[in-house]
Amino acid sequence: MKSILKIILWTAIALAGAGALAAIAFERSEPLNAVWFVVAALCTYLVAYRFYSKFIAAKVLALDDTRATPAERLEDGHDFVPTSKWVLIGHHFAAIAGPGPLVGPTLAAQFGYLPGTLWIIVGAALGGCVQDFIILFCSIRRDGKSLGQMAREEVSKRGGMIALLAVLAIMIILLAVVALVIVKALKESPWGTFTLAMTIPIALLMGIYLRYVRPGRVLEASLAGVALVMLAVVSGQWVNASPAWSSAFTLSGPALALAIIAYGYAASALPVWLLLAPRDYLSAFIKVGAIAALAIGVIFVRPTLEMPALTRFVDGNGPVFAGKIFPFCFITIACGAISGFHALISSGTTPKMILRESHARTIGYGAMLMESFVGVMAMIAACALQPGVYFAINSPAGIVGKTADAAAATIRGWGYALDPQTMSALAQRVGEHTLLDRTGGAPSLAVGMAQIFSGTIGGERLLSIWYHFAIMFEALFILTVLDAGTRVGRFMVQELGGHVWKPLGKSGSTPGILATSAVMVGAWGYFLWQGVQDPLGGINSLWPLFGISNQLLACVALVVATTILLKMGRARWIWVTLAPMVWLVAITMTASYQKIFSANPRIGFLSQANVLAAQIASGATPAEKIAVTQRLIFNNRLDAAVTAVLAAMILVLIVEAIGEWIAILSGRKAAVLHESHYVATRWAEGGD
Amino acid sequence: MKIVRNWSRTAWVWIRQVSGDAAYENYLRSTRRIARTGEEVARVDSRTMQAGCCSTHATSAQPLTREEFYLHALQRRYSTVSRCC
Repeated sequence: MKSILKIILWTAIALAGAGALAAIAFERSEPLNAVWFVVAALCTYLVAYRFYSKFIAAKVLALDDTRATPAERLEDGHDFVPTSKWVLIGHHFAAIAGPGPLVGPTLAAQFGYLPGTLWIIVGAALGGCVQDFIILFCSIRRDGKSLGQMAREEVSKRGGMIALLAVLAIMIILLAVVALVIVKALKESPWGTFTLAMTIPIALLMGIYLRYVRPGRVLEASLAGVALVMLAVVSGQWVNASPAWSSAFTLSGPALALAIIAYGYAASALPVWLLLAPRDYLSAFIKVGAIAALAIGVIFVRPTLEMPALTRFVDGNGPVFAGKIFPFCFITIACGAISGFHALISSGTTPKMILRESHARTIGYGAMLMESFVGVMAMIAACALQPGVYFAINSPAGIVGKTADAAAATIRGWGYALDPQTMSALAQRVGEHTLLDRTGGAPSLAVGMAQIFSGTIGGERLLSIWYHFAIMFEALFILTVLDAGTRVGRFMVQELGGHVWKPLGKSGSTPGILATSAVMVGAWGYFLWQGVQDPLGGINSLWPLFGISNQLLACVALVVATTILLKMGRARWIWVTLAPMVWLVAITMTASYQKIFSANPRIGFLSQANVLAAQIASGATPAEKIAVTQRLIFNNRLDAAVTAVLAAMILVLIVEAIGEWIAILSGRKAAVLHESHYVATRWAEGGD
Repeated sequence: MKIVRNWSRTAWVWIRQVSGDAAYENYLRSTRRIARTGEEVARVDSRTMQAGCCSTHATSAQPLTREEFYLHALQRRYSTVSRCC
């Protein structure tokens, strides 16, 4: 009787999910309500978790709860700490959820809601969750080893080096692109800039409190910090209204870029307790709170999606970024569907804290489903905007023109209704001077979130405060990624530099810290500066580069996972990792090829460089712009070279891995696993 | 009423654990557990004369103070990738 009820329940869930997905895919007669998206996502996640992740846990990985995990065998109270799965899923989710699942779907909304939504839901269930889960399992079986170490041991020595270089490259591009998102969101915005600037003294105060007054009392310091940040958000309106204060906090794009570069250097070189750690606590609290509020707001307000299922920009001529759905939708949305960066977290702290092998399913697969849901929320918030407004905010001035009249005329020409007064009225309602030319996704997402939040609490009166709360929330945790990433990158540069000159490798040496911080900040700062100077907004070139590098890292993770499955004797199940890997190789290699060689200058780096060079040669470039144009030519060629090197590295790894697979399958080579030895658990069954 | 109280207590414990507020208490608990396991292992070892065969547990003489632990934990956390994009 019980099993019949179960069958009926799961059939109902599956049918509800399928029905909602069908409505999203085929309904064209009227605008869709967000509820369809929530139902489609939740039902798909439930079915995927209940059946697919269970199949992977039981058949593919054969999780074994009688086996002691590293947290039990190596418990040291510091890194190896046995932790309840419900606590660890919170830690893991807070670590994997960054700006990516918010910004990526917002940018991909230019294709319409359909391609991005399907990719987020299906990509996560069959790709991202599988990657996170299996890499977590592999790391647990290897005493918490990192992805690079596993690549070196299980694939080849070169594989480990490729993983290290890929991580460093992705880190540099990631930091540049997220910094660019902040610059685009805060330029000429005194309210937003003031709020974000205030988070620095607030974090410093928290740092001093946590270090000297009440060491380690994270909760009370964070709650006080959150209250002060909310006060800063509200106070921003008075700064905005005061001519003197407003002009002090009105910064241009280049000025903001320089300020962020200086901040990144300081945060990386200062003691970690002073600025980085308290900001991270603050950001984690606000991040989880804002994401939960967005989910509740979407369910409460149930907004209608104004964006069509597919826009005319599926042809590849989109104003936000150029390129067709295949492959660009799939590299624009990385986090939210599948992200190679997650493999670093899944092979970082989480495997050292897991209590039982079976918990890897809830934590690895489950946390990624939650992140995917964040991506769906972001897609809803972006598509709830009028398409004309969405394109006016996200299109660079180089494409739609510099004035509201020009932008409205261009966007109307694309078939989306917009009058110039709508944009100025909206800017006024959210407390900004203008919302035009705000590429990067953050401002349009903030407008969407503010509309949802104000529909729940406060109505029109609080729209401007909600908008700046959303901007602060995005900018705050982007800055956290920036300073934490710069610091980790600094350690990587130190590790590599130590091979060249030993004193550089000493982690405690002040000149070493200052020099390697400068190298790291200089590297991402260069790409940031390039993005700020780019007449097409910078996002058009940098976000695809970030997406390609992130998905290439996912290829590395899935190559490692496939190799391990083969060595475990699970050849019949390797399609579980092989299928997403083949898909990722197809999209990243196609995207890399198009970004380098496409004849369309908005897509291909080399053709863009050639067009600019031809303009100089023909005398079409004004004399005062020749130096800038030459720099743009160099930058485009540099971007092409970076893309080519990344793609080549991954191809080398894949070729080596395929050689290894063939040797194992043909019996020419013994399958040697580098797992730690089996030790039976001493803990009772079922205990958490 | 009791259900509400229990739920509130569970939620409070969860928030303290996830936020890192309870990290020092976890560390002390862990240290005590390691010490106990170490004693058990030592007893087994003295009987079987097979020193160190059953456990790879690290043992430390004196637990860190709250402040030392906090600084130590931060250094370890921020020297590896701890935040994603």
